[in-house]
Amino acid sequence: MYEKKLAWGVLFRLFHWAFALSIVFLVVTGLYIHYPWSNSVIEGSRSFPMAEMRYFHFVAGFVFVGAVFVRLYLWFFGNRQEKLWDCAPITARNIKNLFSTIAYYLYFTDKHEPRVGHNALAGTIYIVTILLGFFQMVSGFWMLYPESPFWQGWGITIFGSQAQARFIHYLLMWYFMIFAFIHLYILIWNDVKDPEGLISSIFTGRKFFHKNAVK
Amino acid sequence: MSRKLHEKEIKTGVTRRTFLKGCAMAAAALGLSDEVVPRLVEAATSPQRPPVVWLHFQECTGCTEALLRASHPDIGSLILDIISLDYHETVMAAAGHQAEEILSNTIEKYKGKFICVAEGAVPTRDGGIYCKIGGRTALEIIKDVAPKAAAVIAIGTCASFGGVQAASPNPTGAKGIGDVLGKSVINIPGCPPNPIAFLGTVLHLLTFKRPPEIDALGRPLFAYGRRNHDQCERRAHFDEGRFVEQFGDENHKKGYCLYKVGCKGPVTFANCPAVRFNDVSTWPVGAGHGCIGCTEPDFWDTCSPFYEHLPGVKMPGSGIVTDADTLGKKILGITAVAAGIHAAVGIGKNLLKGGQNKSK
Repeated sequence: MYEKKLAWGVLFRLFHWAFALSIVFLVVTGLYIHYPWSNSVIEGSRSFPMAEMRYFHFVAGFVFVGAVFVRLYLWFFGNRQEKLWDCAPITARNIKNLFSTIAYYLYFTDKHEPRVGHNALAGTIYIVTILLGFFQMVSGFWMLYPESPFWQGWGITIFGSQAQARFIHYLLMWYFMIFAFIHLYILIWNDVKDPEGLISSIFTGRKFFHKNAVK
Repeated sequence: MSRKLHEKEIKTGVTRRTFLKGCAMAAAALGLSDEVVPRLVEAATSPQRPPVVWLHFQECTGCTEALLRASHPDIGSLILDIISLDYHETVMAAAGHQAEEILSNTIEKYKGKFICVAEGAVPTRDGGIYCKIGGRTALEIIKDVAPKAAAVIAIGTCASFGGVQAASPNPTGAKGIGDVLGKSVINIPGCPPNPIAFLGTVLHLLTFKRPPEIDALGRPLFAYGRRNHDQCERRAHFDEGRFVEQFGDENHKKGYCLYKVGCKGPVTFANCPAVRFNDVSTWPVGAGHGCIGCTEPDFWDTCSPFYEHLPGVKMPGSGIVTDADTLGKKILGITAVAAGIHAAVGIGKNLLKGGQNKSK
């Protein structure tokens, strides 16, 4: 017998999709800005590919920053599964879960702890991802507002120069791409291995568990 | 029509007209109203104006050359006229002990009043023995002179941030003047910097008795407040997506944007497109070469290769340098292969288990 449990609140699901879609837009437009493969050639063609790509990049960037801040809020004020200490490897329960999840993913064992929220491995990677999102935010805003003393102050403190900020901004884009790939693979793998409605849970907010498997 | 440079150089002083023009130009660069010009003139001609001590360290004298080569109006002579240059190794008549005596006399006589201009980085490794003048290391000289000055101006990227000798691996431990002194100085970076940036800063100091507003890296905002890219005459080509694909191609001849051939204008704070160089109305991008980011800290490391977008990624511990795209694609490929193997192992295990289940 299965029972349905609420895992993710509405705000969390909105955060997830804002974050995911903004990353897709940011990567596509960001790759164009990095290497503009088109060449308008004809002058006065009234097409502004670079200006438009940059515009979409900025809009998506603001959505991304908004999503990061929503996640930050949910770390502290979300429901039980969304809170930082439910998935961060800072409690004995989570540290144990971190290693057992790695063993589970490496096929060493078939047993794993059923959890309504993230497992500790996923939680750790998500925390790192959100923190890296902050680096993207500072480098991105500094490049968008080069004349702002606030962003310049932070940019120089963290990156040293704007050339370096742009370099790190680009390298981190690859991180987000690779993160998205691994994220999707592990989701599908989990759903095949132990179906609990993991993929649909980010739409519906609900997961399915064996009766009395989780408290 | 060839200008007789040698004749021009031996002319002493400048005409009043040229002098006023220079002051007006500096006022414009500083973003001041023309009503301030008389105050600038007054300050610059005041007999009580502070003397300037100009120190040379690890450098190529290019910054001094750039100042002296400035033409119409003759900013070179204007600068030499405005500032009372007591000690400058390149242009002073005195030499040897006589020169060193002038230096020690000036810094004692005008203690707390003179302006110290430093050109070049200061080596700090092995006690600073890699640069010595008159038997003293650059480190000793700057630590002796700078604390007695009313203001310290670091001219050029070497004096500001260390420049080429501070580029990795920095064999002499070269540092900018601000880092050596452990306090913020006015930085006029550039390789070479624009004479107008220097002139404006000096006039601001003389007139208002305080340095101009500076950014987080100590660069005056009037000259380094904006990026080259945002003031570039080729910017429209960038927004409309017209790029030079390689040097010498048809697009290059038409003057399209140099973004794809490694222009660092988008990350470089300077006023080159607005003020240009040597009053011949040109600057690197105007002449068809990308900006190399010479006003930025560590630009030899972070802005090179100059004809590539981004610097190479150094793989820690291996000495391998690769570009960011190759690295990213490789990691993504390895990840995809790893995921494939992982999935195959899972399916294989499942098949084995399935077989066992059936046999039971």
